[in-house]
Amino acid sequence: MSGLVSDEIAEDYKSSLEDLTTNDGIQIRTLTVIAKENTEHAMAISRVLENHIRSTPPLQKLPALYVADSIVKNVGSPYTLFLGRNMYQTFMNVYTLVDGNTRRKLDEMLNTWKQPAPGSLDTRPVFPPDITRNIESALIKARTAALQQQQARAQPDILGRNRGNGTPTGWTSSSTPPQNMPRSSQNHQYPNNGHSNSAPPQTHRQDIDLSYLNRDVDALIASAKIDFANSPFNPVSQQRLKALVDLQAILQKQQLAPDQLKLVRDQVSALAATRPPSAAPNAATNGPAVSAPPQIPTPPAQPVSQPLQQLLNPNTLAELIKATASRQQSTPPPPIPAALPQMPQYPHQSVPPQTAPENPLIAALRARGLLPGGSTPSSLTPSTSTPVSSRSNLPFILPHGMQPTPTAPSQTPIPSNGSSGVPMSTASMKIPRFGLIVSLYDSRPNRCGTCGRRFLTTDEGKEMKARHLDWHFKTNQRMTESSRRAQNRSWYVDERDWIKSREAGDENGAADPQATTEGAAGADGNTKQEPSKPWIRAPNDATLRNTPCPICQEKFESTWSEDVQDWIWQDATKVGSRVYHASCYSEVTKGPAPTRQTRTSTPDSVLGKRKAEVSSFEGV
Amino acid sequence: MSLPGLELTQPSEERSQAPAPPSQISLTPGSEWRFEVAFGHIIKVKVFRTLRYDSWFVLIQVVQLLNGTAELFGTELAESQTYTFTGTKAAIFTWHGCALEITAVETASTTSDGVTPTAGNGAGGCQSEYMAEETPMVEYANVHFALETMREEAQSIGKDGPRVLLLGPENTGKTSLAKILTAYATKIGRQPLVVNLDPTEGMLGVPGTLTATAFRTILDVEDGWGSSPMSGPSPVPVKLPLVYSYPMQSPLDGEGTVYRPVVSRLALSVTGRMAEDEDARETGIIVDTPGILSTDKPGTMELINHIVTEFSITTILVLGSERLYSTVAKQYDNKPSSSATAAVFDEHISVVKLSKSGGCVDRDDAFRKATRESQIRSYFFGNPIPSLSPSSAITLSPHAQQLDFASLPVYNYTVSSADDEDEDEYDPSQLGTGASFLPGGDGMDDYASETKQEPDRAAPLPGVVGSFSEPADNANANANANSSSSVPLKKVLPPAPSALANTLLAITHASATASPAEVRDASIMGFLYVADVDADKGKIRVLAPVGGRMPPRAIIWAKRWPGELVGLVG
Repeated sequence: MSGLVSDEIAEDYKSSLEDLTTNDGIQIRTLTVIAKENTEHAMAISRVLENHIRSTPPLQKLPALYVADSIVKNVGSPYTLFLGRNMYQTFMNVYTLVDGNTRRKLDEMLNTWKQPAPGSLDTRPVFPPDITRNIESALIKARTAALQQQQARAQPDILGRNRGNGTPTGWTSSSTPPQNMPRSSQNHQYPNNGHSNSAPPQTHRQDIDLSYLNRDVDALIASAKIDFANSPFNPVSQQRLKALVDLQAILQKQQLAPDQLKLVRDQVSALAATRPPSAAPNAATNGPAVSAPPQIPTPPAQPVSQPLQQLLNPNTLAELIKATASRQQSTPPPPIPAALPQMPQYPHQSVPPQTAPENPLIAALRARGLLPGGSTPSSLTPSTSTPVSSRSNLPFILPHGMQPTPTAPSQTPIPSNGSSGVPMSTASMKIPRFGLIVSLYDSRPNRCGTCGRRFLTTDEGKEMKARHLDWHFKTNQRMTESSRRAQNRSWYVDERDWIKSREAGDENGAADPQATTEGAAGADGNTKQEPSKPWIRAPNDATLRNTPCPICQEKFESTWSEDVQDWIWQDATKVGSRVYHASCYSEVTKGPAPTRQTRTSTPDSVLGKRKAEVSSFEGV
Repeated sequence: MSLPGLELTQPSEERSQAPAPPSQISLTPGSEWRFEVAFGHIIKVKVFRTLRYDSWFVLIQVVQLLNGTAELFGTELAESQTYTFTGTKAAIFTWHGCALEITAVETASTTSDGVTPTAGNGAGGCQSEYMAEETPMVEYANVHFALETMREEAQSIGKDGPRVLLLGPENTGKTSLAKILTAYATKIGRQPLVVNLDPTEGMLGVPGTLTATAFRTILDVEDGWGSSPMSGPSPVPVKLPLVYSYPMQSPLDGEGTVYRPVVSRLALSVTGRMAEDEDARETGIIVDTPGILSTDKPGTMELINHIVTEFSITTILVLGSERLYSTVAKQYDNKPSSSATAAVFDEHISVVKLSKSGGCVDRDDAFRKATRESQIRSYFFGNPIPSLSPSSAITLSPHAQQLDFASLPVYNYTVSSADDEDEDEYDPSQLGTGASFLPGGDGMDDYASETKQEPDRAAPLPGVVGSFSEPADNANANANANSSSSVPLKKVLPPAPSALANTLLAITHASATASPAEVRDASIMGFLYVADVDADKGKIRVLAPVGGRMPPRAIIWAKRWPGELVGLVG
């Protein structure tokens, strides 16, 4: 009879439990009351509860455990006895399958179990200490193992190539199609990690924040692409991009359990926070690492959210790797390329367990053109459609496009104009030297926003830029002013002026000694020695400026002289306090002077104003 | 003869062209966006009614992403600045990736006779536009780096910088490469001397000229090489060209008897500049040539040899012609350069073959003609393309005036074209046949008069001192030895031939009484456009860039090239 009643009650209780999908206090209290009122069926209820906790979806496990917690704390014996019997398995089962937040809650709950029940007169803890101690020690063990394993995996997976890691391990391995062959050895290690309570296969497909996640990953890929475009030969940015692309592929192709997704999301958001290129190495390692969630119970204070730089500290790494290596009977060490020792930034790579055909080091070497190009592009996952195709748009910056060339140090930034010995030959022209492009762009990062001219970041460059901007400013001013007056094309200069002329440029006009000012320079023996200057600076005084030439009664025309960097009056001469056209004046005074026509000529002819070149056209 | 875009008087059909919406193009690193914008009939009314300039405008607004960079023939585009193009076939290349925004300017279009407006279907109304991932830019950049290596070496041991000669058939990108090399050199603070020996296209001036220019400042993205000096300011620093007249289409005309001495003279000036301008000396020379030199016409190799000798070429870049490369390489590769110091510095010529860009398109005659017209127009009227800020559109005001033809010492070349039978209906050597075209046909005999027979000795270069006058003289002597003893330059005597109308006159720096050899070798001061000829009164009406009295200088009639340009002045 009682058995029958027990079954009925158990059945009822089970259906009530199934209604419990969220952490609903009322429901939990109701279930507790039912349990209290049916203490005679405690065994049946406990069994139902345990089964329910084990079989319910991960998200609903916590409320179910809360029911148990509530019952134990509010009702106590005999439930404590019945539930305590299997609590270790129940708890560990839940802990394995839930995400970090839930784990934190489980930890909190576990802590309360070591205390006396609140409001109870009983001073004994909720559960007997041996139960909680078992759970705790198991958690610590698992935590350590998980930490090591994650780090161990973080290393070889820099390139994120082994999708095997993307396959959930242990309990879910059956639910996911085998992903790729070469790295299957990685999977063997999981059972070896000494956690025995493998749970029933989980088949939950939850897209809690899949869309957010995808968006975040997209954003990260975009930014990684920009990094990549900026420094196509930086292996770090290459790897980062690859890792992210792989991660995206995993997200798109595979259904991950919610807790895994949670992990990925945490990583991604951590990544997004540390986006600067300096953090890129983690980024590279993160991709694959996050795609392989810890297959063993992990404490909430997991490295997940912890800055990975610390983990990547080479010393710690080496130790960890050694430790992991000795624990895992891993595959034999790969043939280490001869070039390995040259790459001190990957010291741990000489440690065997990371047997990746796509050794990041090799890829890095390849990227630097130190190893012949090879499988890198082709071994890119074909499934990552978008990024791969966009990448194939850049055929020549792919690592395999880089050919080793002794003459082009493609990585070292070249200061200023350095072109370090590019031979002028047909064969030499075919060799890409992207490192040298730097001399055209990146070595002069100081850019004029108006015309795209570039300047060095040195003080001199800044000064040049300041003068250049000044030039723009003045030019704009003059453009506005001059739009009101008619302008015309100047005559071309003749041979002598051209030979004597110097390009003033737009940043060092007045500084050029050749661009002489009024009387000062004239020492170099050319026509500037002429006593009367055919031009003067335009006066600032408005009335003076509007005073016409006393001889011809025409006003003077102000023109801008690049050489003098000031407004000047061409063909003008100052006699006493009055300004005349030099030609008018000379006609009147019979002195030698250029003809009137030159008044409108280009300022440059100032340099070589002369009477007539006819005289010099005599045969030699 | 009616030309595209020149006759606004009969706007026939209003064609409503919906302005194309802005289109975005993003370029991956190492790719380029090639585009062609036609000379069409679309008018930007406000600006161009007065200028009688009509065209199809495509505004290209460059919106660059983050650190994107883009360059047009080596000249970097500024971020977020707007560039305007018309009548252009060009490519915007990026080393780092960038995004472009292309907009067609809203235009009221008017179709006159001639070609229909050729607004293409491409982005922003381009005739053709596409993205190309395979470009020879790696090679071209390497040329720059190799030249830079030579420059650094030259700097360290005190010899002259590299002298580069660009060879290749038509439409292989010689001028584009010259621009790229120039732009890269100026970008890193060098000052190359760029020599244009292609009379079919002007550089900083009108066609029918050979020029040399020192480039220190940034090239004009929108307008080819930039602009020569004007009385007013220019948003892009002006360039100062040295200009010589060569009013013929082909260097082979007259078996090179005119081309050769002009080239020699130009080389002499360039050498003079190199001797005095340290920056130019260190950077060296870039010589662009006409495509016809790279054909197998008889006489081309001699001309190439002449150029190589005159400019002491050290590096010959051959674009897109295997045959030419092997010929040139056989003849010059690893031979000592003709520089006076070649032996001292062990200077040898290297011949390098370069790929032609896939973006090179054939510029048909119509397009070339339109380009020439646009160059002439902008010589007189300024840059016709309004950028977004109206202030940067430069409008020049040429001066129209009447001149007494009899007072003008106008010369005309009397050589026969090597590959003649072009559209020129007159053959200068047979002026008699054209009698019916001349208002004063009976005055024909006057033309035949003054073929000077003085010894064809080039005038000494003013201001050039002895150090290099000797090789120069040798060069001239060589040139003269090859050429006929007389200069095929005849004075055009009154009455003014009606054929003067719509052609250009080049005012030289030579005096009115100079010998033909001096006239031929004189650099050019500027150009006059003959609007019309009043034969009865002996007057011609001309457009001059600069007002005031006409300088008393010898004038060369650019009759054969660039030829007639109708409708510059309405």
